Amino acid sequence: MAITEKITNTMKPTFWEGHIPVNYVYTYGHAGEKFFRAIKDKGTFLATYCSACDISYVPPKIYCDRCFTKLDRYIDVGTRGFIETFTVSFMNMDGSRKERPRILAMIRIVGTDGGLIHYIEGIGPDEIALGMPVQAVFKPKGKRTGAIDDIIGFGPVTRGRK
Amino acid sequence: MTERVAIVGIGTTGFRPITPDVSYRELIFEAARKAYTDAGIEPSEIDGFITAAEDFLEGYSIADEYCPDQIGAVLKPTHTVPGDFLQAMATGFMMVKTGAFRTVAVEAHSKASNMKNISELIGFAMDPIYNRPLRETPHAISALEMTRYLFETCTTPDQCAQVVSKNMGNAMHNPYAAFGAEIESGDVLNSEPVSLPLHRLDIAQHADGAVVVVLADEATARALTDVPIWVEGIGWCTDTPTLEMRDWGEAAYARLAADMAYRMAGITNPVAEIDFAEICDEYSYKELQHMEALRFCMPGEAAHLLETGVTAIDGELPINVSGGALGVGHLFEASGAHKILELVEQLRGEAGTRQIPDVAVGLAQTWRGVPTATGAVAILSNL
Repeated sequence: MAITEKITNTMKPTFWEGHIPVNYVYTYGHAGEKFFRAIKDKGTFLATYCSACDISYVPPKIYCDRCFTKLDRYIDVGTRGFIETFTVSFMNMDGSRKERPRILAMIRIVGTDGGLIHYIEGIGPDEIALGMPVQAVFKPKGKRTGAIDDIIGFGPVTRGRK
Repeated sequence: MTERVAIVGIGTTGFRPITPDVSYRELIFEAARKAYTDAGIEPSEIDGFITAAEDFLEGYSIADEYCPDQIGAVLKPTHTVPGDFLQAMATGFMMVKTGAFRTVAVEAHSKASNMKNISELIGFAMDPIYNRPLRETPHAISALEMTRYLFETCTTPDQCAQVVSKNMGNAMHNPYAAFGAEIESGDVLNSEPVSLPLHRLDIAQHADGAVVVVLADEATARALTDVPIWVEGIGWCTDTPTLEMRDWGEAAYARLAADMAYRMAGITNPVAEIDFAEICDEYSYKELQHMEALRFCMPGEAAHLLETGVTAIDGELPINVSGGALGVGHLFEASGAHKILELVEQLRGEAGTRQIPDVAVGLAQTWRGVPTATGAVAILSNL
């Protein structure tokens, strides 16, 4: 047993190598469906709004976290936001190093209590600051599929667009 | 309802970066055997058993079915809590409180070295629709939080690096610890960037190990041991899983879990009433952020307490004397268990060269790691 008999030969640790193939579909649900359809068709973001708590949800939810009422009021909140926080990321999800570091940020969408976590494009690590205004940059309409990667990232605010 | 609940036995394997010599079940068996010997009872005399485990981390579906035999719980009341050890211990505490269970054993372990793609396994915890498609590591999510915490509290990366220096240094005095080292804050800041402001040495490395604790009601505890360690308060709390809706500067989950535990323990002035604490430092900045959440100081003051030695082993409020996760190792759901282990050894006066003199009340706090916002707090005493 493990307490009295120790394995002392480091060349012979024994194991069985297994792997678990797991595949899922993750359904968007009502709120996600509306959110991604607005990105795909109109290039804009939708929020749900709880008038009782004065909280707006991006990404939208069909219920309020706080008062637990059903939310069915969707608001077009545009594509502008502020950098709530950011990081310069050097590593991929599998632990490998990135070819080039990317700036990842939490962008608080203007006028909402929510936002999106996405890349910053067109602003260097030395220029970036908390509170900086940014706006979403989308793939061309024909190439959008209705997913989070329809957004290329967030870049400097340009005139004219909302 | 029974009055008080005590820890009457504890056992551990200690913690190592890899354990190729044993299976995870043998690891648990060793900790269980030691805990039952420490308590002076056999598992046949224990009324209920709880394990803390998660399927993905174990590599099993329904991993809880593989728990009973290595803790002596075959054909006994047993269940698994998919959370931190402190959440499992809270369940055990409540079971004893009902009066239906005189004794309950609680187990947690980490066999991190069995996970071949550990980074992706942790990544699978992120939202699959909004976050995971970016293929970013969970460390990047913590780095986002660190940036905001530093901004809101005027704390510096160097001050966070001093947490690493303190805790890895403390671990040099802990025979259970896997990652003791004498390093300077400069070594941390010069280690390779993972997701700035996080460097490699700001991040606790994973370790293997198991801990088993035996809880008992007051009468049973007094019959079993001369030094029962009382569970005075316990609390837990979870914030929204939606990263986009969170407050990125403050650890609200820890503040509310602590408030629950303080209420139960009758603690109104934590700094004055708590002698030492083992708190979550899975990332360097987390120790400082959690100190503030636990009301040890006001937001922005934690780094000052660190720099003035208040949280050192000979300070007024020693924090992570064990070495914390940075020095002992990141133990997944056993994180809370190693903190309870340190509390019990200190409160029994069995902590060897790292013993803090005259301690009576200790606090343990855990966080379930990125991307969770779940925290738990337990307050133990020897009074």
